[in-house]
Amino acid sequence: MTRLLHAELLKLATTRLILWLALLMLGLELLLISLTASQDSIGDVMQESTQRGLVTFAAVSALMSLILGIVSATGEYEHGTVSQTFLVAPARERVVFAKLVAAALVGAELALVADAVAYGLTALWLSGRSIPSHLATRGTLTVMLGTILAAALAGALGVGYGSLARRQTAAIVVALTWLLIGEPLLAIVGINTYAPGHVIAAVVEGGHTSSELLGFWAGVAAALVYIAVAGVLGVASVKRADVN
Amino acid sequence: MAAPPIEVRGLTKRYGSTTAVVDLSFSIPDGKITGFLGPNGAGKTTTLRALLGLVHPTQGEARVDGVRYVQLRDPLRAVGAVLEADSFHPGRSGRNHLRVLAAAAGVPVARVDEVLAEVELTPAARRRVGGYSLGMRQRLSVAGALLGLPSLLVLDEPANGLDPEGIRWLRDFLRRFSARGGTVFISSHVLAEVAQIVDEVVIIHRGRLVAQEQLDALTARAAGGTVVRSPDAERLRERLAAAGIEATGSAAGELRAAAAPERVGEVAAAAGVVLHELRGEGASLEEAFLELTAGEAT
Repeated sequence: MTRLLHAELLKLATTRLILWLALLMLGLELLLISLTASQDSIGDVMQESTQRGLVTFAAVSALMSLILGIVSATGEYEHGTVSQTFLVAPARERVVFAKLVAAALVGAELALVADAVAYGLTALWLSGRSIPSHLATRGTLTVMLGTILAAALAGALGVGYGSLARRQTAAIVVALTWLLIGEPLLAIVGINTYAPGHVIAAVVEGGHTSSELLGFWAGVAAALVYIAVAGVLGVASVKRADVN
Repeated sequence: MAAPPIEVRGLTKRYGSTTAVVDLSFSIPDGKITGFLGPNGAGKTTTLRALLGLVHPTQGEARVDGVRYVQLRDPLRAVGAVLEADSFHPGRSGRNHLRVLAAAAGVPVARVDEVLAEVELTPAARRRVGGYSLGMRQRLSVAGALLGLPSLLVLDEPANGLDPEGIRWLRDFLRRFSARGGTVFISSHVLAEVAQIVDEVVIIHRGRLVAQEQLDALTARAAGGTVVRSPDAERLRERLAAAGIEATGSAAGELRAAAAPERVGEVAAAAGVVLHELRGEGASLEEAFLELTAGEAT
């Protein structure tokens, strides 16, 4: 398994996928923080919760991690490399598991960078406006650690889902549509708490801000259930499929 | 007795209502180059992919060194496979592609540079595969197949799209591999590509086996046999007839026998008959192949 994990990490490191996702992530983060910070309606910037809210934008890393996981699983079919992957490792379930772990690890690294950037930008903005910083609190630290865990879980979920879907563009489009349209629609009827996007958000925010979200541990447990279900279905689908 | 490098038994593969391979059985000899021939759509690729564990047979099985591919402990060290030439991530360099395979197979990274040199790709090793020519990608495929120092190479239509120089390189390479004791199983629908290097051929048509023979025997059979010239032609004809080989006289001292040159030579030697000439009648493998695959498979 160590060999396969090494190979999967090498696959991710030897294309520009991580670079593009990191650039997109940092761009989104910068945009969200600067837009929010420039609004008059931001709330009391002296409050710890407002300042923590800016750091929470690091959670875009979870979205990037989800896409990373999907591309990691579906890219093999997109480029036809799946044949060579299964020739070296005919036990296909081991390949899926190695991808799952690799995407979780790289997703966590992306989140670490996102955390550092969000924290740094927020601290810089507060300093520029001579506002006392309340960033060095347990609450902010919890959000930052939650973001790392959420990105890791999202990466793993992306691999499970991508293994099941196998068509790259369709898989990404469906995932984004679900997150941007599907879950907000569920919110209207009030059944969004256990939806995948909200479960990941619960891991980030740990029940700090919204009654719509599960608590931290419940969020982690629900995310693990989603990963297990997607992983098992993904492995079954990959094992059953002919590679033509 | 050691298991044959490749053994296919009763292999059938259906895709929905389409049957790609029907009850196919054959094995190939160790240390030889065996051609796997058939027109496009004959079932060659499906058979090879079933052999390599990529396609699940509907019935029957295919074995490598006596076991199913998925049961091989270190597949890359047993079999090197060259499948389609476009199975690369275009943004990854050739060297990194091989590093990934080496990492997964537990092969030292030093071996990556060795195989790159072996396929003459070292100068382009750090360039992205998206910029490679078809010939370069094919060589990269071969490099990947060689990583684990396998004793068996399986190649699916490796000459597709290659220029004459690339085809010559491939032939020379396979000859060298075979000369070192390696076994090669190479598929093609362009018979001229493999006629110069194969020892034996397995021919399929519409998913069924139509022939498995030595190359010489195949050409002789398709063209009507072997031309043999002897000062004692009549006695040779009698001995051939006794061996079940029909022979007819065509000119003074010359016979045309319906068997491969090897077989005719063996009968003549056993009978102590002096031969002045022994040659397979000059049909090409192409003609033999066309004859075999012209009608309905049996």
